[in-house]
Amino acid sequence: MRPLREYVRSFLLVELLQGLRVTGRHLFKRSVTLEFPEEVAPKSPRFRGLHALRRYPNGEERCIACKLCEAVCPALAITIDSHQRADGTRRTTRYEIDLFKCIYCGFCEESCPVDSIVETRIDWHLMESREQRVIGKERLLEIGDQYEAQIAADRAADAPYR
Amino acid sequence: MSEQETVTIEVDGRAVEAVKGEMVIAATDRAGIHIPRFCYHKHLPIAANCRMCLVDVEKAPKPMPACATAVADGMKITTDSQRAIAAQRGVMEFLLINHPLDCPICDQGGECELQDLALGFGRGVSRFTEGKRSVEDEDLGPLVATEMTRCIHCTRCVRFLDTVAGKKELGGMFRGERTEIKTYVGEGIRSELSGNVIDLCPVGALTNKPFRFRARSWEMLSFPAVSPHDGVGSNMELHTLRDRIMRVVPRENEAINQTWLADRDRYGIEGLYSEDRLERPMIKEGGQWREVPWEIALRRAAESLRGVASHFGPEALGALLAPTATLEELYLAGQLVRGLGSGNVDHRLREGDTSDQAEAPPFPYMGQRIEELADKDAVLLVGAYTRHEQPMINHRLRQATNSGAAVMTLNPRRFEWNFEPVLEHAVAPGRMVAELAAVACALAKGGKGKGADLPDGVEALAAKSETAQRIAERLKVAERPAVLAGNMAAGHPEAATLRALGTLVAELAGGPFGVLAEAANTAGGWLAGAVPHRLAGGAEAPLSGLSAREMVERGLRGYLLLNVEPEADLWNPAAARQALSNADSVVAITVYAGDALKESADVLLPMGGFGETAGTFVNSEGRWQSFRGVTSPLGEARPGWKILRALGTVLELEGFELDNAEEVYRIVAAACEGVAPGSRYPFHKGAASAGSASGGTELAGAVPIYSGDPLVRRSQPLQHAAIAGQAEAVAAAETAGRIGATDGGMVRLEAEGGAVELPLRIDEAIPADTIWVPAALRERVDLGPPFGRLTVTAV
Ligand code: SF4
Ligand code: SF4
Ligand code: SF4
Ligand code: FES
Repeated sequence: MRPLREYVRSFLLVELLQGLRVTGRHLFKRSVTLEFPEEVAPKSPRFRGLHALRRYPNGEERCIACKLCEAVCPALAITIDSHQRADGTRRTTRYEIDLFKCIYCGFCEESCPVDSIVETRIDWHLMESREQRVIGKERLLEIGDQYEAQIAADRAADAPYR
Repeated sequence: MSEQETVTIEVDGRAVEAVKGEMVIAATDRAGIHIPRFCYHKHLPIAANCRMCLVDVEKAPKPMPACATAVADGMKITTDSQRAIAAQRGVMEFLLINHPLDCPICDQGGECELQDLALGFGRGVSRFTEGKRSVEDEDLGPLVATEMTRCIHCTRCVRFLDTVAGKKELGGMFRGERTEIKTYVGEGIRSELSGNVIDLCPVGALTNKPFRFRARSWEMLSFPAVSPHDGVGSNMELHTLRDRIMRVVPRENEAINQTWLADRDRYGIEGLYSEDRLERPMIKEGGQWREVPWEIALRRAAESLRGVASHFGPEALGALLAPTATLEELYLAGQLVRGLGSGNVDHRLREGDTSDQAEAPPFPYMGQRIEELADKDAVLLVGAYTRHEQPMINHRLRQATNSGAAVMTLNPRRFEWNFEPVLEHAVAPGRMVAELAAVACALAKGGKGKGADLPDGVEALAAKSETAQRIAERLKVAERPAVLAGNMAAGHPEAATLRALGTLVAELAGGPFGVLAEAANTAGGWLAGAVPHRLAGGAEAPLSGLSAREMVERGLRGYLLLNVEPEADLWNPAAARQALSNADSVVAITVYAGDALKESADVLLPMGGFGETAGTFVNSEGRWQSFRGVTSPLGEARPGWKILRALGTVLELEGFELDNAEEVYRIVAAACEGVAPGSRYPFHKGAASAGSASGGTELAGAVPIYSGDPLVRRSQPLQHAAIAGQAEAVAAAETAGRIGATDGGMVRLEAEGGAVELPLRIDEAIPADTIWVPAALRERVDLGPPFGRLTVTAV
């Protein structure tokens, strides 16, 4: 019985009309496509984009080279070398993130005891050569310095939910 | 456990065998049941002050500390009952009251016993809101970093320094909450075993200073290794990160180093990546050093060795091999030189007298196992300051003295021991033979009759000495005596006679005689044929060559150096410098390119340093210990055995078609099959050489603890340690007075090699008419050998 019914239906173009109905509906709806880069989508304060290293208000870098972010990173994207700075504190001599390895999971930020490494809202970063995929401590601190206001506001917005 | 009475206890419903009288925690540890603890350590006395090990004992009114509760038959223990856990949680809460909660900046983080146990027994949130205690840090020297606020007062460090290292250098001050662990005098720790407090400290209060903040425990790889610094062969683990060695920790071996490690073994590695590390082959052209590819360097090395052999005859060629090289390297170097037709091969660089070599045992053997030393009841040390020469041997001697053993010394000075020697006989080096002969005579006269009769000629050597008499008497009544000859005896110009007399004394006393090896492979060198008169396994060499001392003093035309620094590693550094600068060609296979070496060498071939080469060390007991390379050699350096193989191939010698280091090992091992250790050095009449007549001022010196090999000499933390050697002349007040020198003033010392000026220090530990100048230091090179005659004038 079933094959017969299918046969008849195919002649009546039922599927086609169903499809056209969806098309028709969308034809008259308001468009949601954004004209990137002129227009950008709104982002959640929890957005996990490019990394940054933050400083304290007094200008001291937050990172204490505990290496927890390096240990937790599932993609092994972070490489840290540490030493004792002249003032006796524990500091990094090298802090590198390989952006090709990184899967933007945000574990590094979760693990950081001093809110040093964060993932910012920046999702639009370009590189012109392969080598640029590894970003070092200076660059990360620079990003942190540049976007500190935003970073701080985002952490504050998310704080009630943690 | 066979002879001891055992009892059975029940732990968590499981029957556990225990030795009668031992503590519960020892039995559960053996059974693999874990009880948390901070203060308990199996090699330290019990303090029971942390209370972390509380367990429930049936019928006991309250929880009992497992580390201080002796087992009893039928005892029923629960480690995880509610009451036990509640007690442990309570202890943990108290511990964390004053403990900083900043593991991320703590160097112990990741390997911290407190951190681990806090995970299991700590509360999620602290109930403590009051202020925390903080403690000022103390500078304990360049080896141990302190953060005393983290201290939980388990007193492991205090007990270690007191009972194992032998000096109460740390102690608990003040009481209750204000307890602090401090040094008594604020001068840091002087112990040669100080690094062990790092391993013992369950928290981050005491940590490894040079390693501070360098890496985390979880990111490093761990590889077994054997210490290269003395003849003990302490077992250790090398921790590496990204192909670099980061630190050294002990590996437990009850037969050798127990759970300890001497500072030299732990911190020697700090010298590995020193600035003068050689990373690329270099040749000297027109007085200028130039980096070249391996092929060119090898060809140049081969040409110059061949050149010397064909121009001046093969006997004008000699090889000086470091006794810290591996068995494989020593064997191949011997084969190489012998392949070129020369018999001049030696690794006994710091030995003053090898005239007994023909009759010597297959390798310098300590006559017993290291463990056995702890059971001795009388030990005579001849020319040995074991505390600095072989710290782990000294540790066993200290254990022996703890159970009443009498340790006696016959040395060219008195030393700072960490136990009470019953007698320290300090005599000018030229009198050591006479005194030892006197001991032998006194023993023979007493007629214990266990040994042989006194051979001819001993009596003629003997001095009239009451102290020797007393030594003999003490040895006579001993049931398990031993005589050990140390590094100073080996460097003595009459070492052979000392060894023969030592053998005699030991035989007469009815105990073993032993020779303590100076370097990791002093014994291995003999077995590998790195001696002029014997091939691997002790077979007679077809052409016998010169000893290291002769090679240097006679002066050859060409030298092959294997990781040798002529100014520090040789018995007579002045002659060595002369010989090398006069030589036509010097090929150095070396880890470091020090200035002195660069001056005298023509070709420098970079060799893998410690931890970068697979190989084998044979220790003083004749124990073969193999290890592998754990990181790749720095730069273009290659493992020593590979360089020697390549050199042998370029020279077209036979027997160098080898695939790996194990193949070399198998060759040597096969040759050594059936080699029985021995330590008998027969006495011959007229053995003592002309040097024995005393009179005038004598020079004496030993290699300081941190100057023994190229690696340790480059370890900055060790060089800054309080016990590191200093260039100075030390003399008794009377001797100084005769010269007219004052404490701190400069004196001019003239010996056969040349003259040096050094500051004088007055110390009554030095016998009369003797000037003590530490050996192997750059400042004293001109003086030549460590022992000899000299004239002193005040400047
Ligand atoms: S976001 Fe995730 S993958 Fe990327 S660096 Fe951080 S932890 Fe690693
Ligand atoms: S960024 Fe944070 S987690 Fe990573 S090492 Fe620095 S302090 Fe530790
Ligand atoms: S000692 Fe242990 S518990 Fe204390 S801060 Fe250091 S790692 Fe954390
Ligand atoms: S381990 Fe038992 S009281 Fe410390």
